[in-house]
Amino acid sequence: MNQYEKRIPIIKIHDYLIVPIQVDMHDKQAIQLQSQILEEIARTRAKGVLIDISVLEMVDSFIGRMLSGMASMAAIMDTSVVIVGMQPAVAITLVELGLEMPGVDTALNMEKGMEMLERKLNTRKIDTY
Amino acid sequence: MKESFNVKNLKNRIDRIEDILASVAAGDMEARIGSDIEDDFSGIEAAIDLLINDLTDELRERAKVQKELESRLSKIQEQQKTILQQQEDLLELSSPVSKVWDNILILPVIGTLDSQRTQVMMENLLQKIVDTGCTISILDITGVPTVDTQVANHLLKTVTAARLLGAECIISGISPAIAQTIVHLGIDLSAIRTKATLQDAMIYSMKQNKRSEEVKALANISFPNENEG
Repeated sequence: MNQYEKRIPIIKIHDYLIVPIQVDMHDKQAIQLQSQILEEIARTRAKGVLIDISVLEMVDSFIGRMLSGMASMAAIMDTSVVIVGMQPAVAITLVELGLEMPGVDTALNMEKGMEMLERKLNTRKIDTY
Repeated sequence: MKESFNVKNLKNRIDRIEDILASVAAGDMEARIGSDIEDDFSGIEAAIDLLINDLTDELRERAKVQKELESRLSKIQEQQKTILQQQEDLLELSSPVSKVWDNILILPVIGTLDSQRTQVMMENLLQKIVDTGCTISILDITGVPTVDTQVANHLLKTVTAARLLGAECIISGISPAIAQTIVHLGIDLSAIRTKATLQDAMIYSMKQNKRSEEVKALANISFPNENEG
């Protein structure tokens, strides 16, 4: 165990999982987090995941790919992932890197992300009614 | 009456010429030989005095010109500073992002776009989106005469970056000339929502607003069997 192995919490609230990423992640830790989140989705049967990256000043291509990969994996598991609170500088960097993360939902802040998930789940409910 | 040469006197006079020249060289422009003896040698003395006079005038003239040049230079430097300052201000002013309605930001672009300007625009817009929490922004390019590949690319990047933040970016007011250029350049704008005029974009954004409010209201309707447990 080294200094990077600080655990990132995965919080369950009702149907959602909230993952506040507050430290710059190491590649290994990113992969670990990915599988942890997927396991939590399976365990808690969460309908949505909110990943808060509002304090991250830097997101490299690996983390970017990890995030978009996780969104598609979760989608297969019938769970929506919303990435929340990306910094403008991070967005510019990702776009410059060509990592446009197609198919990943994003929201300005946690509140809007939650609304987005609710909207999605509700439309789903309405569809089934 | 001309006096005849006197060797001893001559020696003294040459010494005096040397002294005077030395003091002129040291910067005393008032020094003159001013001999009152009139003979063959006094012509040379007078000539030296004349030369000193000319030199003095010349130096005075030069000092004047130099002063003038210096003042002009400082004026030019000041102007240069003003121009730079104004350029910066213009760059800032050229991308005003304003909130026009609940949840709606507008960035009207007027004039030619270059890479630097689009970069500043992009940064301003993204920062404003984060600051205000608006989820819809309209990029109005009615006032832009032409667009090249790089600028079109930058616009695409701006829209994509806004999407990454969680906001929707609409481009409005694409002129026929720009539409032609974009298609000829082979740039794919199909992933971007474009509207004909700013008005259309506003109507669309307000509809979006209303729809999200309706969905929110719908979300408050409880689905008892689903929400429990």
